Parts: sequence; C-alpha cells; structure tokens
Amino acid sequence: MFQPLDPLLHSELRLAVMSLLISAEEAEFPYIKEQTGATAGNLSVQLDKLSTAGYIEVEKTFKGKKPCTICRITPAGQKAFEDYIQVLKTYLNV
Amino acid sequence: MHRDSKHKAKLTLSAEEKARHQRVSTQVKRSESLIIKQIKSTTMEETKNMTAERSLEIITEQIEKSRRAVSKTTGQSLFVSGLCTMGMAVIIAITNFILINHASGGLGHLLWLVLPVIIWLFMRKYNKEREHTPVSLVGSMVAKTWSTFAWFVIGYFIIALIWGFVAMRMLQPEEYVATRIEVTPVIVLLMGMAITITGHILKQRWLIIFGIVAGLGCFVWEHFNMGATTVMLLSGQPHPSLSFAAIASTLPCLTIFIFAFVGLMLPGWMLKKQK
Repeated sequence: MFQPLDPLLHSELRLAVMSLLISAEEAEFPYIKEQTGATAGNLSVQLDKLSTAGYIEVEKTFKGKKPCTICRITPAGQKAFEDYIQVLKTYLNV
Repeated sequence: MHRDSKHKAKLTLSAEEKARHQRVSTQVKRSESLIIKQIKSTTMEETKNMTAERSLEIITEQIEKSRRAVSKTTGQSLFVSGLCTMGMAVIIAITNFILINHASGGLGHLLWLVLPVIIWLFMRKYNKEREHTPVSLVGSMVAKTWSTFAWFVIGYFIIALIWGFVAMRMLQPEEYVATRIEVTPVIVLLMGMAITITGHILKQRWLIIFGIVAGLGCFVWEHFNMGATTVMLLSGQPHPSLSFAAIASTLPCLTIFIFAFVGLMLPGWMLKKQK
C-alpha cells in the first residue's frame, strides 16, 4: 500500500520552487521565475500557497529603490520535502 | 441484375471504408489527446495526475539548473583569477629581473601578497554587475574550498617569508639553502588540489583532470628545479652567473604563469562558455 504524496508539493511548479530552495540559502523572485519558466502571476500564487503552509518564508524588502522578494525554505518545508522524497522512493522502488 | 450486384458491392465497399475512416479518426483522436497530455505534463502547471517519475525529473532538473548557475559563476571567478595571476606573474618577473642588478632579485615576490586584493576587487565589481545568483549548497562548498586554499597559501607564504628573513641572518649559506621553505611548488600543489576538489563538486571531469595535470606537473617542474636546469643546460654554465640568477629568479613566475593559464584561465573560460 503506497503512502499518499503531499498534495501541496505534488504540483509541478511548487515542487520546482521547493527543489530550487532546498539547495539554496535564499533566492530572489526573478531568479525563481527564470529558473522555473513560470509566469509572475502563477508563481506568486504558488509561493503564497507554500508560504501559507509554512513551507517557505517570503520576505518583501527593497534592493536600492526597487522592491525585492526573497524566498527561503523553513525547517517545516525541509521536513516536508524530505518526507515527499521518502514517499517518492517507495513509488519508484528505489 | 448485374447492375444491382455491382451497386451492392459498391455499398458494401463504402461501408467498409466508413468503418476504416472511423477507426482512423478514433486513432487520430487518441494520439491527439496523448500529445495534449504530454504537452500539459511538460508545462509548469498544477497537475494532479503528475507521475512519480515526473516528480523526480523536476527535482533533478532544478538541482541541475542550480548547479549550472553556480558553475558559470565559478567559471567567471576562475577566469578572472587566472588572468590576474598571469598578469601579476609577468609584473613580478619583470620586477625581479630589474631588481637582480641591485642584488635583491626575489623582492618582487612580495607583490604576490597584493594579488588576493586585486582578484577580490575585480570579483566585487563583477558581482555588482551580474544578476543575483542565490548562495546554494554547491556554491558555498566551492567558496569554502577556495577560502581554505587562500588561508593556507597566505599563511604558508608569510611563514616562508619570515623564515627566509630569519634564516638568512642566522644561518650559514649552505644551511640556509638546506632549510629554505620552497613556496612555488607547494602553492601550485595546493592550487591544483583546490581546482580538483572544485571539479568534483561541480561534477566537471575535465576540471578534475586540469587540476591534477597542472598541480602535479608544475609541482614536479618547480620542485626538481627543471626550469633552472634547462636554463643552465642551455647557457652551458656549470655555475650560475648573474644573468642566470636573473633568469632563475623569474622562473617561478613562469611556472605560476603556465599554471594560471592551464589550471585557472582555461577551465574558467570553458565553464563560462558551457551551455
């Protein structure tokens, strides 16, 4: 019997964002947008969902005079990602 | 009668054709829906039917992208470091060559202490210009490798300088030569190790090869005084003359120059150009 995969992470864009943030200390919004190839609107929605779940923290700051959004993964997010990988392994028989 | 049978045959044929048409159209529809499914799976949309394989693919892809971004930044750092080191080697060689006539040929080597500052200034300018690449685990591992290398080299260089200064005044010339700390072979060996470790972290096989070849090659060349021996053989003199001493004092610069080209600039340029 397979364990269910975390529905919040089992989405292409959210999983891509989490995969990017898991190996980075923090990442700016334009960088995540460029790496995932998502639209700004869609990415904002998905980041909000991850932030509401407590998987990432979003810091809105300024870089000079320009607004800058910085995202970083939280310990809860790291745990959720690790659990997701563990369950994924059972699906793939790894 | 004959006409009727022909007409019936035509009718049955058209029925067969209709069935075939239907089969073909259902096949086309199936393949269309398959293609649409494939397109949907390749775009970053919210899908509930994402397979485990696709999940793994996304994770691998993003980690690989992050590694590539770090590789490019590391490439730029290696390239700039290589260029600065090569330039500095030329300046020090010229300085030593000029100063040898004033009996202080090795004094130019003190300029090596300025090199980290020059590289840092160039990299600071570059980091301001480029877009923000996040500090990743891979990036911080590369940075830590090079900062460890820098601390060891600067420390070793200062120890060698102090010991050289003290030993020259306290010991006999033969003792001084025997106890002298060789700087260049150890530095190229350490630098070769740092390049090889960077290659391992970035999973760039040729960077590993460049590090090993440049590090060990230049270490052997410098440790066994192969440059000095070559010059001595070419000049045909058993004992070093002033002109030989002038050339010999610039030989470590030649080693560093070759090393910086093979071990830093070339791999840096290749990393930068990598797609």
